[in-house]
Amino acid sequence: MKKILSIIALSALMVSCTSLVEEFQPVFTANYPQPAADKSVELEPNITIAALCGMYKTGSPWNIDQDLIIAGKVTTTDKPGNFYKSLYIQDETGGIEIKMGKNGLYNYYPEGTTLYVRCFGLTLGMYGYKSGNYGGQGMVQLGFEDPSGSYETSYLESSYLIDSHIFAGPAGDPAEPAVISESELPSSFDTQKSNPYIGRLVTLKGLKYANQIFCLIYINSNKDKTMSANRIFLSDATWGVTTWAMSESKFKEYLDAGLWDDVKIGNSGNYAYGTVGHPEDPGFATSRADIRANASAYSVSQYFKMGSREIQLRTSGYSKFGDYEIPKSVLDGTATVDMTGILTMYQGSIQFIVNSIDDIVVHE
Amino acid sequence: MIRRIAISAALLLASLAVWGQLPTGGVKGAVVSRAGREPIEGASVSLMKGAERIASCTTGRDGTFLVEELENGVYSMMIEADGFVRSNVNVTVDDGFIKDMMTLSLLPEQVVEEVDDASYTEFDMDDSGFTDNPTILYNSNDVFTNVAGYGFSNVRFKNRGYESQTQDVYLAGVRMNDAVTGYSPFSLWSGLNEATRSKESTIGMESAQYGIGHFNGMTNILGTPSSVRPGWRFSFLTNSALYRVRLMANYASGMLDNGFAYAVNISLRAGGNDWIKGVHYNNLSYYLGIEKKFGDDSRLALFTFANTGHRGVQTASTQEVYDMMGDNMYNSNWGYQDGVLRNARVRKTFEPVTVLRYSASPSDKLDLSATLLYRCGYNGYTALDWYDAPDPRPDYYRNLPSYFYMDDDDYNRLNEEKAEWAYEAWTTHTKDFANYQHLNWDRMYRVNYNSADGRSKYVQEQRHVDQRDLNLAVSAQWYATENFTLNSGLEGKINRTEHYKKIADLLGGSYFLNIDQFAERDFASNEALTQNDLDYFLSNGHAEKIVKGGKYGYDYYAHIRKARLWANGIYTLGDFTASLGATVGYETFWREGLVRKGLFAGLDDAGNEITYQGKTLTTYDSQGRPITSKGLSEKPGFLTYSGKLALAYMLHGGHRFSLNAGYFNDAPTFSQSFVSPRTRNSLIHNLTTQKTMSADINYQWSGNGYSVRLTGFWTQIKDQTDLMSVYDDSQQSFVNFALTGIDQRHMGVEIGAKVPLPLQGLSLSGVLSLGEYIYNSVPQMTMTVDNSSEIIYEDMDLNYWMSSPIYRRVNYNGSSVIEVDVNGDAVIDRWQKHHIPSTPSVAGALVLNYRTRSYWFFELNGQYFAKSYLDMNPLYRTMVACGGADGIATPEEIEYMATQEEFSPAFLLNGSVGKSWYIKRKYNFGFSLDVRNMLNNRDVRTGGYEQSRLISSAGKDRYYKYNSKYFYMSGMSYMLNLYFRF
Repeated sequence: MKKILSIIALSALMVSCTSLVEEFQPVFTANYPQPAADKSVELEPNITIAALCGMYKTGSPWNIDQDLIIAGKVTTTDKPGNFYKSLYIQDETGGIEIKMGKNGLYNYYPEGTTLYVRCFGLTLGMYGYKSGNYGGQGMVQLGFEDPSGSYETSYLESSYLIDSHIFAGPAGDPAEPAVISESELPSSFDTQKSNPYIGRLVTLKGLKYANQIFCLIYINSNKDKTMSANRIFLSDATWGVTTWAMSESKFKEYLDAGLWDDVKIGNSGNYAYGTVGHPEDPGFATSRADIRANASAYSVSQYFKMGSREIQLRTSGYSKFGDYEIPKSVLDGTATVDMTGILTMYQGSIQFIVNSIDDIVVHE
Repeated sequence: MIRRIAISAALLLASLAVWGQLPTGGVKGAVVSRAGREPIEGASVSLMKGAERIASCTTGRDGTFLVEELENGVYSMMIEADGFVRSNVNVTVDDGFIKDMMTLSLLPEQVVEEVDDASYTEFDMDDSGFTDNPTILYNSNDVFTNVAGYGFSNVRFKNRGYESQTQDVYLAGVRMNDAVTGYSPFSLWSGLNEATRSKESTIGMESAQYGIGHFNGMTNILGTPSSVRPGWRFSFLTNSALYRVRLMANYASGMLDNGFAYAVNISLRAGGNDWIKGVHYNNLSYYLGIEKKFGDDSRLALFTFANTGHRGVQTASTQEVYDMMGDNMYNSNWGYQDGVLRNARVRKTFEPVTVLRYSASPSDKLDLSATLLYRCGYNGYTALDWYDAPDPRPDYYRNLPSYFYMDDDDYNRLNEEKAEWAYEAWTTHTKDFANYQHLNWDRMYRVNYNSADGRSKYVQEQRHVDQRDLNLAVSAQWYATENFTLNSGLEGKINRTEHYKKIADLLGGSYFLNIDQFAERDFASNEALTQNDLDYFLSNGHAEKIVKGGKYGYDYYAHIRKARLWANGIYTLGDFTASLGATVGYETFWREGLVRKGLFAGLDDAGNEITYQGKTLTTYDSQGRPITSKGLSEKPGFLTYSGKLALAYMLHGGHRFSLNAGYFNDAPTFSQSFVSPRTRNSLIHNLTTQKTMSADINYQWSGNGYSVRLTGFWTQIKDQTDLMSVYDDSQQSFVNFALTGIDQRHMGVEIGAKVPLPLQGLSLSGVLSLGEYIYNSVPQMTMTVDNSSEIIYEDMDLNYWMSSPIYRRVNYNGSSVIEVDVNGDAVIDRWQKHHIPSTPSVAGALVLNYRTRSYWFFELNGQYFAKSYLDMNPLYRTMVACGGADGIATPEEIEYMATQEEFSPAFLLNGSVGKSWYIKRKYNFGFSLDVRNMLNNRDVRTGGYEQSRLISSAGKDRYYKYNSKYFYMSGMSYMLNLYFRF
């Protein structure tokens, strides 16, 4: 009896001294239990993605003050690096980008996973709107408020903020892309509300290379990026760029090859700074070497034609396939491509973003 | 009554054999307590020649002793008694007379157990590039060291501001400072307090019998079995600031009649502490030794020891994090794994040291010794590693409110709402929020579970520094004449240290891919460049899948060879002593890369460039040499030498004046000499020896319970090199700052005094260390990243390393503005000196000590520390950092960026109490209780470092610093020691 009592007393003491137990745990055993796999959450959505996007009014980001819940399948992956810090989800009505603000999202939210978003406290805003005849709609996104005014939304970033609003449901098969025709493509003033394919995973077939790229280069990204003297546009032609995008090392290769020596420095009619090969602004660049010193990776828009419509294939210089060469047959127009990716709008133009190089299929 | 003990039996037998020549010399005297002048019974008196015990006896009831039948010669007489500090005096026996030493007084021992080095090595500076290594002062006969030695350890006091590498630590006559880094090696024998208790030490510039040393003292741990105090000893220690318990058992035979001596020391340290959560100890230390005496004059000792086990470690964090956690001792290294607390950073060591020592005295004028020492085993350190997944550390800067919002708009961190979310996650101290404040192990496992083919995204790596270290030290002491002694020796070292890392835990995954993920981002188009092991990739077509225990990342040998001759002549004439010593040696080292890294492919075995898919991988440095990761580096060689002069004069009445001066030309260490040792063979250029000039002047006096020492010192170090490797979040890689041409000057005074107070047994001691330890050159910095072949900056001047300007301010329309001269230049008011960091330049203590005749003791100890400074990041002392993105360094920017942070002064109060009991003169047991920081001061910064990143301002015209990281001293803590001896 005494023995039992003392054992009870001892164990009571041990329980009360959890910290003592904790500090001696690694002394007595070096083994740690394997944590269980994640439990998936299930919430009841009360609004569709298209309807949510419909609540956005152009130019006025909305700090969502209603208890709205959307649900959708994850359609993007940041594994190959073409998407970064954000992901797209879609339901039957449309798709939307959620600006998560963390890297390696595919580790937590693989393609096909159902995500639930508790929207209360988040901000609905648009990226890429431009007014006027040459402008058009951008993309409605979910993010957090951005008091800096740079954008309508900011990344969620804070883990607690994410965990309080984004809930991973069950894993599932990746979404089936919708194969769409030229006539189903959105016009400049379509949004997720008016066109069901914007923000969704779609397949476009029979595209032809348009011999034109767009790329904005900063001479020194540590300096003011809005100043004309700090900007170089590669546009209207291909400028010798034969890769989907360019990593920092590829950028240097192109630069060193002298392919851009005649590109003017500056923008919007302000080109008083010479050319890449002969810059004239000592405050920014005096030689190619100066541009090289602040080299970085750059995203490139490669122009394609789907019938008469222009499709910009936008690829990040940080993606793993950014430096891949575009097949010769594509460049010389003898081959067409099919591509599967997210259909997005930027200033009324169609920008297409693929998850990986495998989403671009070449037909010789 | 005089108790006569006839030496050792062996000596007696030998003496009988030569009965006719039985020596007639001897020594007698009486041993008394210094406090009460009472006789000490049972004190052991040993006469030593070098480390060899020639004769010994114990004192009688009246404290007297007599040792007879000694040959003529100079002996070192060691007096030991339980409860008293061991004392050494030199005795010359000549002409066959019995020398009367009259009374010899012993200082009562500090019964408080000495802490081991554990208190120093806990700080994890591994990713910071800054070093934090202990200097421990030993010298029980010196009043300053007595108080400062362990008493100042909790604020990480560096004696005279010197780095720990400058302290020479010997074991059995072999210099043990780490071959690769130069650091003092205390952790090798940590926990073996009994086996390593017998030591000889010098302070400052003094030389010793076993070597000449540098300018920061020397300590030689005897280590031989016969030097361990005979008898059984057991102790139990519990404390609240290091580890929970220590159990120690020790047995030493002393020199037995059969000529053998044995000693065993085992100690177990386990558990955590009250102040830092997530740390633990699980260490077993052992010492085993056997010694045999052959004939009269030679002995052979063999002993081995190690400290093995593992220990959880603490990391520094920013003040923002400490404030949110409400705890300056917050530790970000741990978290819960399925509810069980786990520390990611664990030091795992097993480095056995084996020593074979032979000593002989072929004549009464000559002592010889030779020691062969071998160190091997492993030293591992775990940490998290990850690939393409978020940084798992809870205090990663992007998880903190300051990343989202700063009051100053110019930081361009404007999102107050988002900061609120982060703040709530950090300040809600309930279980639900533990995963935001600590590591989230479960999440890391789940990421690995989700990974399609079992490729781990998070792993626990184990970085290894495994030494094979072989040493030979031979020394001779020649007592040439009564007035002249010559100590000399030869030292050699062969060291091969392997640096590598391996997978310690795949955290639920099944493999980790051996590629360099940062290189992968930059060189996506060339897979070969991303390889950590290019040879494997080229022969297999893919990177290796590393499983548990597999090496990955980097793997190289540091090879080091050292040889040195030294000699020191000591001349004594009456009360005057002069000694002159010199060394000459040669050191060389080289790197041998064991894997070929894609970025630094170099040439293949046939000397050809390496290509992959038609692209050349081989790259060249600015001198046209291929940059290589595999194979042998250049082998720089350095001639080293030093000279030392010491003069001492003993004035009538025991006043001793001494003067020491020295010049030292030392080789840089391996760890300071490569621009990026993990990845390539490139040496820092302009590599040169470090030159040091040093001098000190001393006055000492003791008598009648009084004791005084005054010292003034001056040291100038020139041409130091240093390499700091700092983990950079943005690069996900180590950034290396290689510095050359660092000069520093150490100047100051040390004062120690002890006075007996009118009450019997009561005494007051005071010490003061007042110094200025500054940098005094403009060093040059070369900055590289492990994962890039690019040299970011080469030989850039660190303009504000040694000092930074403080501008003069004037009142202008009611506000303070920087004054401008006629040329429009800002007026500099003064240059603020920059200091050697992480040690108080001002340290003082007052100690009240009371001992009773019944073996009680009480001590109250007040300490004051000031002028301690933060470790500087070299990047912040460049014009680049001060200039901002616009390159224009304004006075405000320079002041902000370059100034060195000074810590607030601290006052600490410590107390201790103890008692020991003797039973039948044979058994002794007792306790001591030491309470540190009784005022529970929890704001004492003991060190830290600056991060190496910059924030560009909203206007892109200046940079801001990232928040610095700090270490704090723990609040009130206790240490209770119970011991039993017989």
